[in-house]
Amino acid sequence: MAEPAFSLADDTALVALFAERLALSDKALDDARPILRHLLGTDDHELFSDRIVAAVGAQLRDIAFQLVVAVETAAGNPEPRGVAEDACDSLALAFADHSVLLGHAHALALEVALAERLAARLGLEPVLSPLLQELIATDDAATSAGAMNLLAAQARFGQTQRRGELPLGELPGDLLHAALIVMRTWIGTGDLARDAHAAEAERAIRAGYDEASSRLGLLQRLVAGMGGGAIGALDLTHGGIALFATALALGSGHERDRAVLSLSEGQLPRLALALLACGLKAAAVEAQVLALHPDAALPLGLDGLRPDRSAALLAGADR
Amino acid sequence: MNPGVVIVARARSDRDERLLSADEPLAALQRACGGAIPGIVAIPQLLELVRRAGHYRMKLARVVHARDESNAISAWVEVSPDDEGCALAISNWRAAPLASAEPMGGDDDLAGVAAQCADLHARLDARQQVLAVSRASVLLEPVAATMREACGRPWTDFVEIAGNSHRQPLHWRLLDGAEVTCGDVPGRWVARLFPLGGEHGAVAGFDLYLVAVDAGPLPDPDAPASPGDPVGDPLDGVLGRDLAPALRQPIARIIANAETIRMRLAGPLADEYAGYAGDIADAARHLQGLVEDLADLDAIETPGFAPAHDRIDLADAARRAAGILGVRARERSIVVEVPDDAVKVPATGEYRRVLQVLLNLLGNALRYSPEGSTVRLEVELRGERASVTVTDDGPGLTPDQQTKVFDKFERLGRSGDGGSGLGLYISRFLARAMGGDLSVASVPGEGARFTLELPPG
Repeated sequence: MAEPAFSLADDTALVALFAERLALSDKALDDARPILRHLLGTDDHELFSDRIVAAVGAQLRDIAFQLVVAVETAAGNPEPRGVAEDACDSLALAFADHSVLLGHAHALALEVALAERLAARLGLEPVLSPLLQELIATDDAATSAGAMNLLAAQARFGQTQRRGELPLGELPGDLLHAALIVMRTWIGTGDLARDAHAAEAERAIRAGYDEASSRLGLLQRLVAGMGGGAIGALDLTHGGIALFATALALGSGHERDRAVLSLSEGQLPRLALALLACGLKAAAVEAQVLALHPDAALPLGLDGLRPDRSAALLAGADR
Repeated sequence: MNPGVVIVARARSDRDERLLSADEPLAALQRACGGAIPGIVAIPQLLELVRRAGHYRMKLARVVHARDESNAISAWVEVSPDDEGCALAISNWRAAPLASAEPMGGDDDLAGVAAQCADLHARLDARQQVLAVSRASVLLEPVAATMREACGRPWTDFVEIAGNSHRQPLHWRLLDGAEVTCGDVPGRWVARLFPLGGEHGAVAGFDLYLVAVDAGPLPDPDAPASPGDPVGDPLDGVLGRDLAPALRQPIARIIANAETIRMRLAGPLADEYAGYAGDIADAARHLQGLVEDLADLDAIETPGFAPAHDRIDLADAARRAAGILGVRARERSIVVEVPDDAVKVPATGEYRRVLQVLLNLLGNALRYSPEGSTVRLEVELRGERASVTVTDDGPGLTPDQQTKVFDKFERLGRSGDGGSGLGLYISRFLARAMGGDLSVASVPGEGARFTLELPPG
């Protein structure tokens, strides 16, 4: 035995490269929310398209509107909507201060924009993807029923998004809880009667909520039910954006919102790593990236990274 | 509850996140995670979900991941909070064997170790021909020099492979780990080959490392084996000792994947393909049973095998066996009658082995009895004998079959039903090793009666 330490076809350099890129893209993500917050208050629309910013603002306003209507209804106000129209703007601004809620609205708006882009470029139907069609046609009754429910939810999602709405029941449980807490603080009058009405409204909202029947719940159950087959949902042109994003989130251990954001142009390294972490081969990763961004330049050496390394790198970057 | 959700288990928790009741398989997972029923929810992600649902007072539904001793488990859990705690509905339960991710052809970490301590590193093409020698120690520099001059020739031309006169190079898996010598250079090396992935899973080439082994004379491969060598049948005992552990995991994976396809969990599929997948799973299960039986055979036929002589309760063993095979019995609508909980029949033997025998007898009874029939497990303590009898309503055995049924590999002309022909042989062997016996009484057409006798406890 003589000199040790041969360099193995080493991926250290590659890991370092990705780590650096992730750090950069993380900073971009971290910066995104303050900027979005800023954009909502001003007319400066440089970083985000007018449409997305408008959609985010509209969704937050819609959540606020629904909550104020609920409180006013509990208070016995015969014209709850009139009051809500006036009051909901300041509550919406309070939601914009909640970065996760803000990020969620942003991710949904981006999801719609991406679905439209794929529909225009590849003719991919935004509501009924080929995979969803197959799942509906399957003779397993549970899967088929779940897929039918999802189809309906996807159609509703498209409509509500076009109208700039975000129904409370479509929020993930944690975010609905967060929104209710924000509302409590916002109401915080010390007026006992009003507090009681707010508490009553809150109780009704919580009792009526069922995460499993929300679009995101249906997506998650369907993808989780596919087990190893979930990798089929990771084909963008087959699964469609909605199933793709959920499969990507489940497969790489990310929040779904972050998975959606990783589909945007500046997040290619994150997307590539997340797909690798899901167990996709380099060629398949490339195909997904190119479906989204036909003229993107992928980092080289993707096939040199193992799924577990990719996952570790992502986990480290997510802190 | 959403329509179309097939619930596999229900459970309840109280306001302090204690699991009050749970169906299988959740109950088993709770125990595997170190919890009890009643007891605080021991499955970390489930605890978090139950906590949140209780705190938010909202119905939540998520995928929960967990693991028991040997499986990665995921399930869809819907949690509905109420005044007393939470109601849990679990569906989409899936368990996959915890497999270490195995990249094609071995472990990068092993390659790293080899790289750190190798005396020579060469890059080979897909046909194991030397492309480049990246580095060599002083000792092996002459060999490296020869290789560099003759790039394009197989690496096996430059070394001598101990005990191997085949035309080289062989398949890399046969050469990986082989001991080599390098001409006049004193010492021995182990060749390690690590394949480099190419397009579509093909091998694009290899990293070759020669790692020194402790110096010492090489055994002469041509010398006849010394008389003391335990040569004998080269396959004797190999399956149980060496092969069975290696076979278990791949077979388990075949079954898991085939089941995934059969259940259409991987996506919609035409009926006939789902049927083929079912055949694959069945064949793999057969293989699995065969491996287990052969491993068992090796174990019990090893000289010095002796089961423990513990004091056990035969009635308890019978109830346990019925519990374990309960699902299979229900699948075939067969009622299994067991001794009352109050019945105790003390006997002497090794509990695990007694249970094994009973599982074999009951498994056979369930396999060969008509659907909707009854299988009875009866225990008895009479004089010098404690016994448990398994009675079925199956086709029964002729006197001729009764004499043969305990023979090794005896299948009584059956095939394709998942049997190995070893179960009863092993069972009788075990019964006798514990000082008892296993016998059969049967009239063709009127079912069979297998009796396991053991010394009383």
